[in-house]
Amino acid sequence: MILEALIQNWVPQYAKVIDLGCGDGTLLESLHQLKSINPYGVEIDQKKILSCLSKNIPVIQADIDESIRDFEGLDFDIAILASSIQCLRHPDKALSNILSIAKKCIVTVPNFAHWQCRLQLSQGKMPVTKDLPAPWYATDNIHLCTIKDFEMLCIKLGLQIDQKKYLGTASSETFLSTRFPNLFASLGVYLIGSK
Amino acid sequence: MQTSNKLYKFKEELPLTSGQTLDGFELMVECYGNLNQEKNNAILLNHAFSGSHHAAGKHNGTLGWWDDFVGPNKILDTNKFFIVSANNIGSCFGSSGPISLDKNGKRYNADFPEISVKDWVQAQKLLADKLKIQTWKLVVGGSLGGMQSLQWAIDFPDMVEKVAIIAAAATVDSQNIALNEVEREVIRKDSYFYNGNYYEHGKVPTKGLKAARMLGHITYLSAQNMEQRFGRKLQDQQTKLDDTINFEVENYLQYQGGKFADVFDANSYILLTKVMDGFDPSAEYDNNLVKTFKNISAEMLIISFASDWMFPPARGKEMLKAAIKANKKCSFVEFEGAYGHDSFLYAEDNYPDTISTFLEGKL
Repeated sequence: MILEALIQNWVPQYAKVIDLGCGDGTLLESLHQLKSINPYGVEIDQKKILSCLSKNIPVIQADIDESIRDFEGLDFDIAILASSIQCLRHPDKALSNILSIAKKCIVTVPNFAHWQCRLQLSQGKMPVTKDLPAPWYATDNIHLCTIKDFEMLCIKLGLQIDQKKYLGTASSETFLSTRFPNLFASLGVYLIGSK
Repeated sequence: MQTSNKLYKFKEELPLTSGQTLDGFELMVECYGNLNQEKNNAILLNHAFSGSHHAAGKHNGTLGWWDDFVGPNKILDTNKFFIVSANNIGSCFGSSGPISLDKNGKRYNADFPEISVKDWVQAQKLLADKLKIQTWKLVVGGSLGGMQSLQWAIDFPDMVEKVAIIAAAATVDSQNIALNEVEREVIRKDSYFYNGNYYEHGKVPTKGLKAARMLGHITYLSAQNMEQRFGRKLQDQQTKLDDTINFEVENYLQYQGGKFADVFDANSYILLTKVMDGFDPSAEYDNNLVKTFKNISAEMLIISFASDWMFPPARGKEMLKAAIKANKKCSFVEFEGAYGHDSFLYAEDNYPDTISTFLEGKL
């Protein structure tokens, strides 16, 4: 999967990595195999916590909204927020706090202004797409945003986007997704540091 | 599962952290399952403050304290693992303690030397040697047993593959010490205590011990749990243990306290609460928990219960943070727990699965 390959490229060998909203630990497991990282997952769902333990990935049960600052001063190199920022109650606070726990942060943002979303909304329906797969009644997403919104928030919070990739629905960069990201990128992937 | 125990006698001197020495000692031990030929399937199970070596199966009609977890096809599967459970020194269930006789055949009473969790670990190390166990697949325990498990991972890093620290903390806090001191004082002030030499007077300070346990027992439950179980329900006239009793919760505490005082030793109670109060592995490492954890090579699992007000999740997270800072593999899982501090005894929610998945690396 290109997204994982991309995240791998931004993660240095032996890095100490915290994945906030790590799910079943798949991403950390592959990073561990490829980059020999020191992985820590944060997850609230106990079924997913068991999946992490079964993969031998250390996992911490915590609510990201409430606990990011608990991880301050623990020397993480990289913090990952992969498709979980839109599930947080305070995405702005989370983003500004996240760089107090790690040197760099990798964030992925499903783009609510992708043309498929716009099309479905124009038909009067809540969008269901590859990067927003759940129907409205079953989604954990409470703070959806667009590529443009997210980048404006980064500016407002004084965060520096070191790298960014705009992925189309096939999880790879296309001519259109890089040229007109807010319309053709399904997912924005960012490497963020502080200014 | 029927179980039997065995008394292991150690002739060697055990130097204690207090500077004193135990001139030989005995450990009462129960084992479950079989040690395989490679000797790599051993698990060490550490009991809590007032617990014993009897962790699983039936012995003299009594089920072990962790029988939900230990047995064939259970969480710690005795078909696969060899599980060792020893009564700690200073306790009163068969291992050397205040009620044992010293070399001269005199009962120790209050003169049993001061013991630490570290001493327990040293004694268990000698037991492991005797059993020809070089590594523990898992060292696990709840409450004071969790602290003992942590001490194992610190003191013998090469012997511990995984450690599960349940309903425990890296030290007890001031409130815990305060409550323990009240419990000790209640025992000391029993007129049958005689400075701990009660056996010489043919008496036992059961009243003080009972009252101490009643107080201790409250700290093992949660307010919510007590409210649900007893609320303000009045005790049935016929089953009242005592005329002064009005509420069910009073009767319950009287009953539990009395039952405990019949089997436990007052000097052991005082000694073991002191062991708990004194537990502080970081004392050897400049009072720095991160430094203390640096040596650990075991994978760690810390489990806390939200309803536990003795060692609430914040105390578990304190260990977690130190472990992460020390770059150790450490997981932390929290459960609501229906029974307060005692929740570690009950196989509820995903708590048992969490332990077995951590142990066996599969769901």
